[in-house]
Amino acid sequence: MNAQVEDKDYYAILGVPQSATEEEIKQAYRTLARRYHPDSRTENVPTTLFHEVQAAYAVLSDPARRRAYDRRLAKMGIGEQAAIAWDIQLSQTQLSAQYESQVFYVLVEIRPAAGSKGERLPLNLCLVIDNSTSMQGARLEHVKRAAHQIIDELDDSDILGVVTFNDRAEVVIPARPLTNRIHTKAKISSIIANGGTEILRGLQAGLAEIEKHRSPQVVNHLILLTDGQTYGDEEDCLAVARLAGSQRIGISAMGIGEDWNDELLDQIANQSGGVSAYIASPGQVRTLLQQRVRGLGTVFAQGLELTLHCSEGVQVENAFRALPHLERLTVTNGTISLGALQTDAPLSLMLEVGVAQKPPGEHRLLRLELNAEISAQGNRRERIWRDIVLSFVPGEPTPQPVPAAILGTLSKITIYRMQEHAWESLERGKVKEATRQLERIATRLFDLGESQLARSAMLEAGRIARSGISTPKGRKELKYGTRSLTIAPRRKSYD
Amino acid sequence: MIECPSCGRKHRPGTLFCSECGVYLPTGGPLRTEPLPEEELPISRANPWASEPAQGRGETPPAPLRIEVVSTGRIIQLPSTPEIHIGRLDAAHGIFPDLDLTSDGGLESGVSRHHCKIHQRGSTYLVEDVGSANGTFLNGQRLTPYLPHVLKNGDELQLGHILLKVIIENPSDAQ
Repeated sequence: MNAQVEDKDYYAILGVPQSATEEEIKQAYRTLARRYHPDSRTENVPTTLFHEVQAAYAVLSDPARRRAYDRRLAKMGIGEQAAIAWDIQLSQTQLSAQYESQVFYVLVEIRPAAGSKGERLPLNLCLVIDNSTSMQGARLEHVKRAAHQIIDELDDSDILGVVTFNDRAEVVIPARPLTNRIHTKAKISSIIANGGTEILRGLQAGLAEIEKHRSPQVVNHLILLTDGQTYGDEEDCLAVARLAGSQRIGISAMGIGEDWNDELLDQIANQSGGVSAYIASPGQVRTLLQQRVRGLGTVFAQGLELTLHCSEGVQVENAFRALPHLERLTVTNGTISLGALQTDAPLSLMLEVGVAQKPPGEHRLLRLELNAEISAQGNRRERIWRDIVLSFVPGEPTPQPVPAAILGTLSKITIYRMQEHAWESLERGKVKEATRQLERIATRLFDLGESQLARSAMLEAGRIARSGISTPKGRKELKYGTRSLTIAPRRKSYD
Repeated sequence: MIECPSCGRKHRPGTLFCSECGVYLPTGGPLRTEPLPEEELPISRANPWASEPAQGRGETPPAPLRIEVVSTGRIIQLPSTPEIHIGRLDAAHGIFPDLDLTSDGGLESGVSRHHCKIHQRGSTYLVEDVGSANGTFLNGQRLTPYLPHVLKNGDELQLGHILLKVIIENPSDAQ
C-alpha cells in the first residue's frame, strides 16, 4: 500500500503546480470532487478517480503532510527540483465516445530542466576504423584526418583508444588518457588498408578497450566507421551491441559510401542507444565525426527509458523519435530505450495511440514514466511521470486546433513511414506499388521544399520501375535524408 | 472511419495524415492564395542595386529583430536564426513559417504560404521576396522577387495587404 501511495502525483491529480497556494488547492479540489462524485449524474467515471482526488486533497491540504510529501518528491528527483523537464502535447484533449476505435497522438519533448547545471563528463572513447581494401585512398585518408582533429579537440582527461579491423582486428592505440597527442597522431597516420571486412572483430576489440576504463562517471562510447558489408556475423554483432547497451556503452555507427548494410548499422546503434549516420562522400567524415564527439561531450543524462503504462483498451501502436533525428523506436515490454540526453539537443518523440471505445467521462488512458541517470549530477537516478487523461464526450468533440508542433513533426514522420513502406513493398516484389509510393513521397517532399531529396525519390522511382530493384545509393539517400527532415528546414523552393 | 480525399484509403477517427499518400486528412488540401487586384497594390518598384549592402560586412550580429503587425498591434520577437520565413502555416504541405500571418487575416489579405524571408548577413538584415503571389513592398516599393534588400529600423513592409513595421533595436535601448 505504501509504495502505491508514493506512486501518486498528488499535484497532478489536482491539476495544480507544486507552488499552488492553499486556496488554489481547495478550489481545485472542490471542482474535481463535484465532477467525480459517485452521485454525480453528469459524468460516468470510475469511483477510483474520486478516491484519488480525496487522497490527494487529504495530504496537500494539511501543511505538515504536504511538507513531508514535498520532501519525499524531492528525494525521488521529482517535483520542482527535477533535473529533467518535459512537455507533453496531445493532438486532441477530447475524444468521441461513439467510435469503436480511434487514434490520438502524443508529442513528448524532453530536455534538461532550466537552471539544472551539469559538468562535462570525461569521455571514454574508442574509434573502430575499417581498414579493409575498399577503404584505400580518399576514404581512409579522410578518416585519419578526422581522427587527428578529434585528438586536438579532446580534453587531457578524456580516454581514447583506436582499433582497426579487416579480417582481424588490431589495437592501434590502447585506451589511455590523451597525454601524448603527437605520438597518437603518428600511430593513426601509419594505418594502411588491407583485407576484408569483419565488423564483429572490430566491435569486440573496441569494446575490450572501452572495458578497461568503463565506469558510470564517464561517457563510454564506441564509434564505428565502415564502408562495407560484413558477412555472416550480423547476429553476433547485434548481440554484442545489445550487451554494450546494457552496460551503458553507446555505439555510433557511420557508414561511408553506398555499399554498407544500413539495416545492420541502424540496429547496432539502436540496440546500444547510439546513432547511425550516412556519409555520402569521404569529405563529410570530419564534420560528422566532430559533431558526434562534441555531442558526447554534452551528455547530460544517460540510460533514458520511457515506460508506457497503458490502461485497458489502449495501445501505443507506433513510436518515433523526432529529435535529434527521426527514427522508429521499438517498444520492448512496454519500455522504450532512448539512450542519452544532451544538454544542447532536446529529445522529442511521437506516440501514436489507439483507443478502444469508452463510455463518456474522463479516462486515464496512459501513464508515461521516464527514468534516467543524471550523469552530470553524479548519476543521480531520476524518475518523473505524467498521466494522459482525456475526456470522452457523447457526440462529436468540439473541434480544436491541433498543436503546430504535432503537425510539423507528424508530417515528416509520415514521409519517413511512406519511405519504410515503399522498401517493404519492394521486398515483397510489389514493384508497381513501391514505384507509386516513391512518387507520392516525391510530391510530399516537393511540397516541403526538399527539392533535392524529392528528385532523389523521383529518380529512384524511375529506376525501380525499369529494373525492379532499388539502388543502394538511392535507398540510403532517401532513408537518411527523410530521417533528418525533422532537424532543420531547408526550404529551397517557394510558391 | 474517415476516408482520404486523395487516395480513398480509410483511417480511424483522429488520424491526421494519410499513411498511404501523406495528405493532411482534416482539410484534404491547402487553401490557395488568390491574387489581389493589381490596382489595390502600390506600383513603384524598389531599385535593388541602390540598397545593396556595402556596410553588411560587420562581424557583430545585429540587434534582435521584432515585427509589429500594424492592423492588430501584435508584436513578434523573431528567432535569431540565419533565415526567417514569413508566410502562412499550411500543415498539409509541411509549411511552418517562423512568422505565421494566418491569425492576422493573412489568407484574405493575399499573403502567400511562402511569402518572403529575412536573412541575417553580417550585422544587417536583408529581406527577400520569394516569388509570392501578391508581392512584398518595402516602404511602398515593390521588391523584385529573389533580390535581397537591406532592412532598417522603422521600415515598413507590406505583404499583400498586411502592413508590418520593422523594429531593430535592443529592448534595453528603447528605455
